[in-house]
This record gives sequence, C-alpha cells and structure tokens, in this order.
Amino acid sequence: MLKANSLTKNFNSNIALNNVSLSVNQGEIYCLLGANGAGKTTLINHFLGFLKPTSGEVLVNGKCVASNPLDTKRDIAYIPENVMLYGVLTGLENLEYFSALATGRKKPRDVLKKLLADVGLPAEAADRRVATYSKGMRQKVGITIAMAKNAKALLLDEPTSGLDPKAANEFSRLLKTASENGVAVFTTTHDLFHAKETGNRIGIMRNGSLLAEFNSDDVSHADMESIYLKNMKD
Amino acid sequence: MTWLIVTREVREFYRDGRFLFGAGLIVVLFITAFLVGFEQRKNVLSERKVAQQLDYDDWVNQPERHPHDAAHQGMHVFKPVPPLSFIDPGITSYVGSTQWLKAHRQTEVKFRPAQDATGLQRFGSLTPAWVIQVLGPLLIIVLGFNSFSGEREQGTLRQLISLGVPSWKLLGGKALALFFGALLLVVPLLFFSFWIVSSDILVGGRHDVLIRLGFLVLGYLVYLGIFIFVALAVSALTATSRTSLIVLLIFWIVGTTLVPRVLIDVARMVYPAPNQVEFSAQLNEDLQKEYSKAWQEHFGTGDRWGSNVPLSRWGEALRVDDLAGYDAIDRHFGALWDRYDDQERLQELFGIVFPMLSVRSYSMVMAATDFSHHRDFAVSAERHRRLMQNLISNDLVEHADGHGEHHFNYKVDKEFWSNMPQFEYASPNVLFALQRSVSSLAILCASLLISVIFALWSSRKLV
Repeated sequence: MLKANSLTKNFNSNIALNNVSLSVNQGEIYCLLGANGAGKTTLINHFLGFLKPTSGEVLVNGKCVASNPLDTKRDIAYIPENVMLYGVLTGLENLEYFSALATGRKKPRDVLKKLLADVGLPAEAADRRVATYSKGMRQKVGITIAMAKNAKALLLDEPTSGLDPKAANEFSRLLKTASENGVAVFTTTHDLFHAKETGNRIGIMRNGSLLAEFNSDDVSHADMESIYLKNMKD
Repeated sequence: MTWLIVTREVREFYRDGRFLFGAGLIVVLFITAFLVGFEQRKNVLSERKVAQQLDYDDWVNQPERHPHDAAHQGMHVFKPVPPLSFIDPGITSYVGSTQWLKAHRQTEVKFRPAQDATGLQRFGSLTPAWVIQVLGPLLIIVLGFNSFSGEREQGTLRQLISLGVPSWKLLGGKALALFFGALLLVVPLLFFSFWIVSSDILVGGRHDVLIRLGFLVLGYLVYLGIFIFVALAVSALTATSRTSLIVLLIFWIVGTTLVPRVLIDVARMVYPAPNQVEFSAQLNEDLQKEYSKAWQEHFGTGDRWGSNVPLSRWGEALRVDDLAGYDAIDRHFGALWDRYDDQERLQELFGIVFPMLSVRSYSMVMAATDFSHHRDFAVSAERHRRLMQNLISNDLVEHADGHGEHHFNYKVDKEFWSNMPQFEYASPNVLFALQRSVSSLAILCASLLISVIFALWSSRKLV
C-alpha cells in the first residue's frame, strides 16, 4: 500500500533521506523509530506529496505520488504530532468539515457523533469549541477524521507524543482496530515500548538512512532496546 | 466542496468577531454616507430648480432696455444634479454647478484639475463611493489577510492539503467567502439606490439610471474582486499573518492615497495644461487676432470700435465679433479639455496596478459626475449663450442699426425677452457613459484577471 523505492532527498548539501526503501502492506502497522532529525517526517512528507524526491520514488496504492498528488492523497489519511483544528469550530463541526472535504459528501451528524464516541471523546465535548480541547482530545478528533475518510493507509507523525499513558494506549488500540480492518498504518515514534506493542514491523532510521528493519514478534523488549541503542550509537 | 469551504470561512469570520466589528462599522458608515448624500442631493436639487426658474423670471421680467445691456447682464444656468451623484459626487464640488452666460465670451469654468482629487484630498468627505473605494478594500484585507497564512500558522493548511483538497478549490472557496463580505457593501448600494430611484426619479429617466447603477455595481464588484485575489495571493505567499497584513496594508495605503497623489503631478508633467491666467491670456490673444481679421474683411479696418464703423453698423459689428470668436473659443476650450482627458487617461492606465485609479474614474462616469459629463453641460450652456447672443445681435442689426446715431435709443420689452427660451439640459444617456468608461472598465477587468492568475500561482505554493 505504501512503498518507498531508493528514496533520496537532498536539501542543498544536506542529505535528508539516503536511498530509503521500505513498504507497508494492507493491515500492517509499521513503526519507524529514530531521533529528532533522522528524516522520519521528511519521509512522511514524501508520502503526502509535500516534498518531491531528489531521486527514487514513492508509491501509494501502486501510484506514484509525484505524478498523482491528488489521487494518492485520496487513499491516505494523515495525523500529525499535533492535530491542528479550527479553534472557533466545535469538535463535531471540525469533523464534519474535514470528513466532508475528504470524501466529498457530508455525513449525518449522528453518525459523526458516534464516530467521536467510538474514539472515546466525551459526548459533551463534541459540541464544544476545539479551542478548549486538550491535546489528547484533538488527537482523537484527528483519528476520527482519518476513520471517517475510510482511508486505505494512515500516516502518523509521532501521534502519541505528549499524550498521557492512558490516552496513548487508547490511541494504540485505535490503530490496531484500523489495521484489523485492512488499513496500512505507518507511524513514526520515539516510544520503543509502544512501537513494540503496536507495530507489526519496526524500522530504525538515523541521519536519513534506514539502518534496521525487523518484525516486532521476532524480538523482545530488551532486544529491541539494545538494537535501537546500538544503531543510535554507531 | 467549495461551498463547504465558504460556509466554514463565513462561520469563522462571524465567530471570531472580525466580521461583526469590521463589516458592521463599514456598513453603518456606508448607510450614513448614503442617507447624507441623498439628503444633500435632494436639497441641492430643489434649490437649483428654484434658482433656475428665478433667474429666468428675472430675464423675462427685465425692464425695457437696449438688448446688448441685457446680454451683459446675461443669465445663469444651473447644472442638473445627476441622480446617482449621491453615491459618487465626483468632481461636482470642484467645478461648480453654475455657468454665467454673458455677452462676448464663454465664462471661464474653474480650471482647477479637480478631477484629479484623490482619496487623500477627499479623506473626510464621506460618500458611498469613498466607502467602497477606500474602506471596501480595507474590509477585504481585514477579512482575508490570514486566509492562508493563518491556516499555515495554526497547522490546518497541511491538514487540508493532506486530504487531497485541490489548492484552486481552496482558493475558490476562500474567494467566494470574501466575496460575500464584499456583497455587504454592494447589496445596500443596490437596495438603497433602487429604492431611491424608484421613488425619486421621473419614470422617463429611471431606465437610464438603473442601467448606470447596474454597471456601477458591476465595476465595484470587479474592483473588490481584485483586492480579494490580491489578499489571498499575499496570504498564500507570506509565512505569517503579520507579514501578510503589513504587505496588504502597505499596498492599500500606497494604492489609495500615495499613488493617486503622485500620479496627478506625473500626469501634469507629461500633459501640462495652462493655468487660469495663462489660459485666459492665450484665449484673449487669439480672440483679438480673430476679431481684427474679421473686421478687416467686413469693414476694411482693423481698428475695432473706431470711428470708421458708424453706429448704424454697431449691431452688425457685434455680430461679426461674436461669429469670429466662436471658433477660437471652441479651439481653446477644446484643447484644454482634451488635455484634461489625456491626464485622466494616463492615470487610468496605472489602474492595472492600483485599481483605485480606474474605479474612481469609472464610478464618476457612471454616476455622471465626471469631467466628460461636465464638459457636455458646459458645451450645452455655451450653445445657449450663443443662442442668446445671436438673438440679440440679429435683433440689433434688424431694428437698432436703422436708428443710425440713435442706435442706443432702441429698447425692447418683455415680448423680446420671452423669445429667449429657458435653458433645458438633458444629461447624456448611459451609452455616452459606456463609451467614456470602456477603457477604465477594461483596465479593471485586466487587473482582475492578473490578480486571479497571481492568486492561482500563489496557491500552488501553499505547502
């Protein structure tokens, strides 16, 4: 569903991505680990079509992102580290607006309210202005927008950063539900524990290069930590 | 999709208070300007009607006297108040409204290039046209400066683009939302004008006024449209809303106050026009030449009013003088007015970058308060003066010259005065206005097209 082939991105003399190849299949959760500046967000920006590769290519559902920027966006949903919404609109209005823009049609309000309830947003909050929301609540609206879009792939850029453990767990549960429904999930994170718990496959990135890739079931928590630290140290 | 964007934008305008405060204030100003302008027009209209009638009554009720004495007293004609002058009084305040028709020569209109009056000069004259031309763009800027930059700052722009919303649709939705803001100004204009035209204008003139009003509204929508796309383009290109606001405010200040002022001087340098004293001196010099030439041809002498021409030919001499001067007067006034036209055209050209220059001109033409309409009135008044002058000279030739040395004993009474018809002036119709405004409207449309292209190009650089 998501594929990067020998992807390289240079910003002048800085190499942001260096010959990165990876793929995320339907129903799979791929967690990309890496320190700040490793190139994780740059990679996501290529899937979103916000950046053009210096060389290599990025595919979404078999289509090249660079040559089909609008088509490929229809198949993906994006949740950034901080889901940004319109503060003067309520959560429900934000969901209504973004989901209608994504799908081209308005969903009934009761359906949208149910979606918000499914992700654990309190009922009273749905009709409150988003300016009063906590980060966790905004993330929940963000994932609801993604769900409402019925996207084939989810791109998440450190989505649990700043969330309390309970909210982070709820978030992981939602991702698992999405993958069980056949959605390909690509998420970047610093959180080794959640990567191991949530992801099917894990990649480690440093200085724009993908250094390691393994199945989460093949390693223990301790092994994963040592692999990560080894790659970060080298 | 576009309507979704429009609805959200309008909802945000409303909820964040900008709409209520900004648009509310401007609409109150607009309606006030409208009502004040209408009331002033009503007062001036009735005063001029009364004055015109009184002046003609004075003419008709003159005592018995020599006709040429009456020609020196002359008569006054009053320029009718154009029906849409309450929207845009144009140059009315600068060129006056009364013309004195007297013997020998056309009275001098005030030669101040009042048509060049700028927003700065008129800052303070609250008219609906001023509100739309100066405050209208400001309203668009206040509503639109953060259309894209604000979304970029709060992170929602990435979110929107990631959904696969084409940038041109986003631009279209935001432009439409701002367009509804602009309608806030134009709808009251249409509503009040329609109401006033229906109730106040004579049936015969209604169609003409309504067509003018339609074109006026069209021009203003194009004008505000330019600012809508410029605001969106700048907002798309700037990193922060603050920068966007500063850039747009600079554009607004330069375009509505600074450039119009500077361009007056530029136009005067490129197309210099004589001042009142120079004009008068040049005209007099030319008139003297024409008179001398005519006297030489008719009387065999260049010594005007000398003993070579007896009183028995005094009326004939007057007629020779009059006829000899008409061409010179037409030539001088025509050249001067053409020069003003050149100055105006030059300023209009800059409307491609600063649209206020074009819309100001366009609006005055449609409201019939521009220089071309004033010129038409002046020409018509001069025609009436010549009618009076010819009537008197012919009468003198026919009746007074026969009195020989007793020429000045000849007197006429009310019967003669009544032969002079009352001045009746019909303002040019809308076709005249359309011919005069075709260039300014074309420039406005070109400017709109450029701003749309600029905005589309900018919207491709959103992320």
